[in-house]
Amino acid sequence: MKFSFTEDQRLFASGLRDLLANECTPAHVREAWENHTGHLPELWSRLAEMGVLSMLVPESTGGMGGTLLDAVLLFQELGRACVPGPVLEHMAVAAPALANTSWGPSLVDGSQIATLWVDNSPYVAHAQVADLVLRNDAVITGFSSTDVHGIDGGRQLFTIAGGTESTASAQVFGLAASDVMALASAAYLIGASERMIEVAAEYARQREQFGKPIGSFQAVKHLMSDALLKVEFAKAPTYRAAWSASTGASTAVRDISMAKALASEAAYRASRSTMQVHGGIGYTWEADLQLWMKKSWALMRAYGDATFHRRRVGASVLSK
Amino acid sequence: MDLNETSEESAFRAEARAWLEANVPTSPLPSFDTEEGFALHRVWEKKLYEGRWSAVSWPVEYGGRGADYIKWLIFEEEYYRAGAPGRVNQNGIFLLGPTIMEVGSEEQKEKFLPSMASSEIVWGQAWSEPNAGSDLAGIRSKATRDGDDWILNGQKIWASRAVWADWCFGIFRTDPTADRHRGLTFILCPLDLPGITVRPIAQLDGDTGFAEIFFDDVRVPVANTLGEENKGWNVAMATAGFERGVSLRSPARFSEAVNRLIHLWRTYADPTDTALSDAVTDVWMQAEGYRLHTYQTVTGMLEGRPIGAEASLNKIFWSEMDVRIHEIALQILGPEAERMEGPFERWVDGFLFSLSGPIYAGTNEIQRNIIADRVLQLPKGM
Repeated sequence: MKFSFTEDQRLFASGLRDLLANECTPAHVREAWENHTGHLPELWSRLAEMGVLSMLVPESTGGMGGTLLDAVLLFQELGRACVPGPVLEHMAVAAPALANTSWGPSLVDGSQIATLWVDNSPYVAHAQVADLVLRNDAVITGFSSTDVHGIDGGRQLFTIAGGTESTASAQVFGLAASDVMALASAAYLIGASERMIEVAAEYARQREQFGKPIGSFQAVKHLMSDALLKVEFAKAPTYRAAWSASTGASTAVRDISMAKALASEAAYRASRSTMQVHGGIGYTWEADLQLWMKKSWALMRAYGDATFHRRRVGASVLSK
Repeated sequence: MDLNETSEESAFRAEARAWLEANVPTSPLPSFDTEEGFALHRVWEKKLYEGRWSAVSWPVEYGGRGADYIKWLIFEEEYYRAGAPGRVNQNGIFLLGPTIMEVGSEEQKEKFLPSMASSEIVWGQAWSEPNAGSDLAGIRSKATRDGDDWILNGQKIWASRAVWADWCFGIFRTDPTADRHRGLTFILCPLDLPGITVRPIAQLDGDTGFAEIFFDDVRVPVANTLGEENKGWNVAMATAGFERGVSLRSPARFSEAVNRLIHLWRTYADPTDTALSDAVTDVWMQAEGYRLHTYQTVTGMLEGRPIGAEASLNKIFWSEMDVRIHEIALQILGPEAERMEGPFERWVDGFLFSLSGPIYAGTNEIQRNIIADRVLQLPKGM
């Protein structure tokens, strides 16, 4: 029994963190919001070069040959930086699922962009910048998209119509696309939550009222500690879910649901508490906090919300 | 990461399971917070010791098995699974013992550890005082040097197990001129010395699980000092780290309680009540999350990343989870939850006990301050 990541896994994640610290600052994320694509082409190229986009694609088809356990810390780093665009959809599902098709090479090198249409949702995130949409049973190309104005500018939402369908499977590692996305989103939400807490802690160290930094007040300390508590106790379940998914454990789907339920609730708590700590500035467009908050509010509902996933866990553990 | 057990770990689990199945008393012992129960629990501890199961993580020379933390967690899982008795000497074995191993002299290790492992000596904790609870640094009980002896004077309160324990470990002010956290010394003291008066305090459940201890010119050898003189705060914080961290409330305790809760839910609850099934699922996830978090922490410790202030997160998490588990059980029990005795008394008694969790070992409010100050690096308040 050994519950830790390898040196290689940690180093790759810290390399990604370094890259994103320069290439995906809040200013970059705002740029993606404001140009109404929710996408950063230059960052996309960097992620392709680094092997992030092809992490889960087998080496035989030009990818990095990683497992979901190798990818989970990367999802978390993407969330810390609030990376916009269809990175999770492309990386976690589309690229590995289509590795053996004619789309494979262009998804590995990032020259084509894929997104997903799962869960019977009426909407497809990132459709405008996507060359192809992978549904559970088909790849759709040549579609037209209509913006339905999602809350998160880095995850723009569309309805799509028309296009050409070709048969395909969105299964990855024996798991449904929505389950892989639930895992990826859980890890992303943890990274986003950690960052919101760091940003709010920094604010609480600087902002003074009554002649003292507000972080010295117990009401603020306790809000922040409770937010951290939920995030910290969502982490190990998320890493375990990645391990279960990577090893084909019989509990993989249950474990993913547990991770998504806990991470969704942790992210919501983090968004509420950190906004509260910011006070009035937290309710402004200007404060960067909104980038992570809105991402959290989008991803906590996407690919199954906490209630859906909690009930799936319940169906597994409460049945005789 | 490999969350499967090694064959060695599985063998250890099988050995523990077999021994416990053969030796755990068939009917539950009376509470160790009663005189009869305390004595019976001491007998049980002796049996554990003879099987070398009383302190599995301790070195072999002191009566343990030299088991690493992973094996300790496995043992705990088997222990709770077997429904084995509560650990009457946990103050000693899980708190003081590891502290003695860390800061004690060789003589102290020889003197105190084997008798602790066998529960020949059962230990009580004597830290809090009427005016030093959450504000532990406000300790006033004094130790004054007289040749090779300390003379102890003052009053301790909420001293766990002290009613029938043999020795206690306390913190005393030895330098009245020093700052609050400085000038304190950690001293080990027999409870049957002249000048000591132990006054039992009835807990919320009516049993006397803790006591006041009055020290009136009590003489103990200076050799009973643990760690350096005037460095008692650091020694105490090492102990508190163990207490809040992994040792005091092992995950198995809650996993077992949640399994009993699920059984209760299946037997008595309305399965169409989704608010209730959601609540039961939620505490299952909490217990499972705590278990996973602990395995992660312990792997980190084995790989050389010691547990720090984040131990305070654990303490908040398990104590609030324990309350929640019992609240849900009482909700399922309905009118039966009003009875202190009867077929469900374990749940009602467990509910009362769970309410102590957010208070003892440093209130959860203090833990939140510690997290804010030391993990989140927020400015000091008070």
